[in-house]
Amino acid sequence: MSMDEKKIRLRLEHISQSYVVKNEVRCAVDDVTLDVYDNEFLVVLGPGHCGKSVLLNIIAGIEKPVAGQMFLDGGRLLKSDERIGMVFQKLALMPWKTVMANVEFGPEVRGVAKGERRAAAQKYIDLVGLTGFEKAYPNELSGGMKQRVGIARAYTNNPEILLMDEPFGQLDAQTRYAMQEEIMKIWEMEKRTLVFVTNNIEEAVYLGDRIVLLTRCPGRVKQVYPIGLPRPRDTVDPQFLRIRKEISQNTDLAL
Amino acid sequence: MKETPVLSSAEKKELRLKRIYLLLPLLSLALLFLLWILAATGTNKDSFPSPLAVWERFLLIMKRPVKDYTIFGHVLQSLRRIFSTLVVAWITGISFGVLTGWNRKADALLSPLFTAFRSVPPLAWIPLITIWFGTGEGSQMLIVYTGCIASIVVNTQAGLKNVAKMYLDVGTVFNASSRQMLFQIAIPSALDAVFAGVRTSTSAAWMVVLAAEMLGGKSGVGFLIVRGMDSLDLPLVLMSMIFIGVVGAMLAVLTQIVEGVLCPWTRKKSA
Repeated sequence: MSMDEKKIRLRLEHISQSYVVKNEVRCAVDDVTLDVYDNEFLVVLGPGHCGKSVLLNIIAGIEKPVAGQMFLDGGRLLKSDERIGMVFQKLALMPWKTVMANVEFGPEVRGVAKGERRAAAQKYIDLVGLTGFEKAYPNELSGGMKQRVGIARAYTNNPEILLMDEPFGQLDAQTRYAMQEEIMKIWEMEKRTLVFVTNNIEEAVYLGDRIVLLTRCPGRVKQVYPIGLPRPRDTVDPQFLRIRKEISQNTDLAL
Repeated sequence: MKETPVLSSAEKKELRLKRIYLLLPLLSLALLFLLWILAATGTNKDSFPSPLAVWERFLLIMKRPVKDYTIFGHVLQSLRRIFSTLVVAWITGISFGVLTGWNRKADALLSPLFTAFRSVPPLAWIPLITIWFGTGEGSQMLIVYTGCIASIVVNTQAGLKNVAKMYLDVGTVFNASSRQMLFQIAIPSALDAVFAGVRTSTSAAWMVVLAAEMLGGKSGVGFLIVRGMDSLDLPLVLMSMIFIGVVGAMLAVLTQIVEGVLCPWTRKKSA
């Protein structure tokens, strides 16, 4: 299947974002144009503070861009939309809610009846392997478990497009690998269009159907890499290493 | 074969330290008590009563109440007074704090008035309140109200102004309405701050109620202490002071326990 046969779900056109910091205009995202295809795992890769998170916040409706337009299934996307879900970098679990209450937050906000939203939440709590922790509070959980709650919360709202903002950035290496496998497993079971932001090249090559490489501040699209490797991917496979090397030679990312 | 538990030297040291930390507070209390006995025996019996005299005064008031109440009755009267005022203060203060902490227009409109009000110390209200409303029950509660309202408002306001953006972002992404943003996210995340206000207002109320009762009250520990002063009954004064201190400490512990029950996530963090 070639690229142009794929259905475009999300389209960004000339998106720019800048802020005024100490009377100086700082550009964070500069003229990003990007298509996201149906059910693809798209990884946005770039160095720290290159505007990757800003880009996700714009798609999620948390920030408004200073220029550019966004389209979801052909319609203008102007504010947060329930078809778009997000897993936050800083977890953003509400400490006053139990795991169950956090996970069912999306449907609760939409006014879904308790029984129905409980069932949906339970499905994803089970899927991320947190069965038995429904009544626990977030601060009783480990970092990896907290991020599982964040993933379950995003999935429970049944979004069509899922944004993940460096979700494993704060985890130790071992947990990170385990979570990468986990997210791959969930993505294959519950196909969604996924936009995943990271600054880790290996993570990007391991996960992505395509990798969008951004430049250092301000973030521009430097290059797009389709990754054709079969899954599950082997991080020491020569092909894998070749792609990884190719990307790292094209960026000032430390790795 | 059963092994006898053997403690390593580090564990033994820790155990010893634990015992020491338990003993030290008792030691300082014992020292205070000893000083009291020494001071009382060295001075005039009437101007500095001994622990024994205070104890006997306690037994006496239990047998022969002052103005219908034993010491416990007076404590309960003071507690009833502060808690009926506190309920009103909590309801009005939290509402005001939420309104001004969440809504910027309300904040700009009302906060200057509140700042002007709270710049006047509560005790400065006493003359005005007494002249306008007398020294009855209502006036006493009003004085307590002026004394405890500021801390509950200030804390609630701060809590709502400092809701982490991260939580509000979650609300935005899930398309929460502004009502849901307030009741599901902002208020719960501000509960720690609100409870800090509840704690401070409780202890402030306990201090101010004594002043209120000293002005022509007919019951309460404040009244009792003034009665002791007027009749030069120093054991009564000292006994009242001890009760004031103990009840104040108990109120602090009680509000902490209530917070742990109502906000279980804060309790589990400290455990």
